[in-house]
Amino acid sequence: MPSLHIILTTSFIITLVILISPVFTSILYKSLNPIWHTHHIKTAVKMAFFTSLLPLFLHVHTGTELTITNLHWMNIMTFDINTSIKLDHLSITFVPIALYVTWAILEFASWYMKSDPNINQFFKFLLIFLIAMVTLVTANNMFQLFIGWEGVGIMSFLLIGWWWARADANTAALQAVLYNRVGDVGLIFALGWMATNLNSWEMQQMFITAKSLDMNAPVIGLILAATGKSAQFGLHPWLPSAMEGPTPVSALLHSSTMVVAGIFLLVRLMPLMQDNPFALTTCLILGALTTLFTTICALTQNDIKKIIAFSTSSQLGLMMVTIGLNQPYLAFLHICTHAFFKAMLFLCSRVIIHALKNEQDIRKMGGLHYLIPTTTSCLTIGSLALMGTPFLAGFFSKDAIIEALNNSYLNAWALALTLLATSLTAAYSLRMIFFVYMNFPRFPALSPINENIKSITNPLKRLAWGTILAGLLMTCAVLPPKPPMLSMPPYIKLTALVITILGLTIALELALFTNKQRPYMPKQYFYFSTMLGYYPTIMHRFFPYTFLKLSQTIASMTIDQTSLEKTGPKTITSLNLSLATTTSNIQKGMNKTFLSLFFTTLMIIILLNYY
Amino acid sequence: MAAAYLTHQQKVLRLYKKSLRHLESWCIFRDKYRFYACLLRARFDENKNEKDMVKATKLLKAGEEEFWAKQHPQPYIFPDSPGGTSYERYNCYKVPEWVLDHWHPSEKAMYPDYFSKREQWKKLREKSWDKEVAQLQAETPAGGPRTEALPPARKEGDLPPLWWQYVTRPKERPA
Repeated sequence: MPSLHIILTTSFIITLVILISPVFTSILYKSLNPIWHTHHIKTAVKMAFFTSLLPLFLHVHTGTELTITNLHWMNIMTFDINTSIKLDHLSITFVPIALYVTWAILEFASWYMKSDPNINQFFKFLLIFLIAMVTLVTANNMFQLFIGWEGVGIMSFLLIGWWWARADANTAALQAVLYNRVGDVGLIFALGWMATNLNSWEMQQMFITAKSLDMNAPVIGLILAATGKSAQFGLHPWLPSAMEGPTPVSALLHSSTMVVAGIFLLVRLMPLMQDNPFALTTCLILGALTTLFTTICALTQNDIKKIIAFSTSSQLGLMMVTIGLNQPYLAFLHICTHAFFKAMLFLCSRVIIHALKNEQDIRKMGGLHYLIPTTTSCLTIGSLALMGTPFLAGFFSKDAIIEALNNSYLNAWALALTLLATSLTAAYSLRMIFFVYMNFPRFPALSPINENIKSITNPLKRLAWGTILAGLLMTCAVLPPKPPMLSMPPYIKLTALVITILGLTIALELALFTNKQRPYMPKQYFYFSTMLGYYPTIMHRFFPYTFLKLSQTIASMTIDQTSLEKTGPKTITSLNLSLATTTSNIQKGMNKTFLSLFFTTLMIIILLNYY
Repeated sequence: MAAAYLTHQQKVLRLYKKSLRHLESWCIFRDKYRFYACLLRARFDENKNEKDMVKATKLLKAGEEEFWAKQHPQPYIFPDSPGGTSYERYNCYKVPEWVLDHWHPSEKAMYPDYFSKREQWKKLREKSWDKEVAQLQAETPAGGPRTEALPPARKEGDLPPLWWQYVTRPKERPA
């Protein structure tokens, strides 16, 4: 029905206009009003969320999807670049979820950043990030996606370095940029390959023309891009370091939206990868390795934000495993459900940190469930959802992924790593809960702790409702494109639940052991986990040192030494000097010797001539 | 009087304090920490009356090596201490006071009392600057200052040296 398309297009354009307008009003009007951010930006995001629900409901009810191409941007011979927006299941579902989470985070940030003099700029940065993310998600061609991709990277840099006077924050922002840039090399390579071989950056044309080509090279580029953006193993250290930024930044960018951009890219371009076993295996192994490694690192962290950051990285590894299983719908479902509970975990952690006067170490927390019951309840719900507790949001995606993994005939090693990581997820979640709000307080008695502020409880409650209901709603509303395996033996069906409970039980036993009078001698694997696998310690020193040493050698030895000493003036000098020395040495004033030699030679020649 | 070298007492006390802090990082619960802290104190107290400096230095060295082997890889650091999570976080809001001189007259007109007083203080600062510098030059030893502490005013009617930097220092936690 054409009217449905018009409604869909119009409502989406209205959503975009509502989002973009505060950026322009801030340029036109001086945003000196201290509550400008609340009035304009938070309200804009809230309205944009409600407006974006209309396309969502239409899509769920009728299955309408469409692509809007409205501007012919540039043309190079036969290569066209247009601005085109693709409203398919992925973008129509993700945009309302991103806006809902952003609304909750902005309302929370209006309380948390109230004393910041640059709060308007902060909200504007978050809004620009959101616009870049929506551009990325709704892009129908790789050029527009790349614009969104770079946009989210730049805003991540600006927001991590928000407190720019702190040296660690600047280091972390640079780290994020550099690691993302390494991944962007892969994306740019893929873009170039597609432009030259597929002659288009439009997704539909790419999917058709790529069927007969060997796609190993561009797909590896895309996987590298996802590795950089989604903090997979190898390019992962920037994500825990990014916790230097304010917590709304961590909650929005580094848990719910930006870090899933890499996975989203792979889901979007799945038709290029689904018949490529090399690519799928790479994703599977990389994801399994990432999820286990980051879970092991999370087990011994003492900073609450770092625990949640490693938890994010682990879930991103799980999403990559799902891509490797050729289940892009499940990966997308996990992206959506993960956004809710991870954002909620970050907001809860911020309330706790604020209550304890910027104390982030879980060794100095405890006994908080009497003091801030709403926050700790939300933390519990979020952790349970993260563990995959039945019928919360995480269950519908995580359990489905583990079932698909169990029923597949792919790599058993990847399966083992993922199951172990699932068990350890329960372990570190319990460890966090045990030290944060069980037992007795270990913090000094400070000024009264208060969470009875609407700006705190309303966002937490909204995200809690999302955590409880989102998985159910999404699973009931939309049929998966690939039929899941429905019948399997009970031990396979219950694997995820059993190993989660096992992890919980063992973690509880070990946690209860920590306050018993027993001297503790740590082993090497404790140090391995605490030092994050020694990966940053080695990589952040080895590569910069190697490259700088090489560049110093090239600059000083190769260029300077070659041009000045080996081929240039000094060589000429030394050659001339040696010639002159030899020549003058030959003529040392031995006249009698020279004369006798001369006459001897002369006599020999005359005699030879004569005879 | 602070000097360039640490005394033996200072070294032992520093070792004791950092050992306690790392013990606190290992023993998370206070009752367990208190138990092992008492044991540590007893170990230090055993040798506190040692008069032979060679033996005392060897004990200190052994203690430092034991500390190095058993230290916590992520010791607890207070948030506002160097290495902590909110160290230097608010320095970006600490604006130096000379920025006030660059305010537009219309902005200065919003705070007439402060800016009129400020002009008087600036004149006072100009008058006392030479005396402050003279006092510091007279009192600083030849090898350079031993501490960061500034001396008080010595003469009647003088202001303490570098009082302007102290009076106009930014707040610890700028609002």
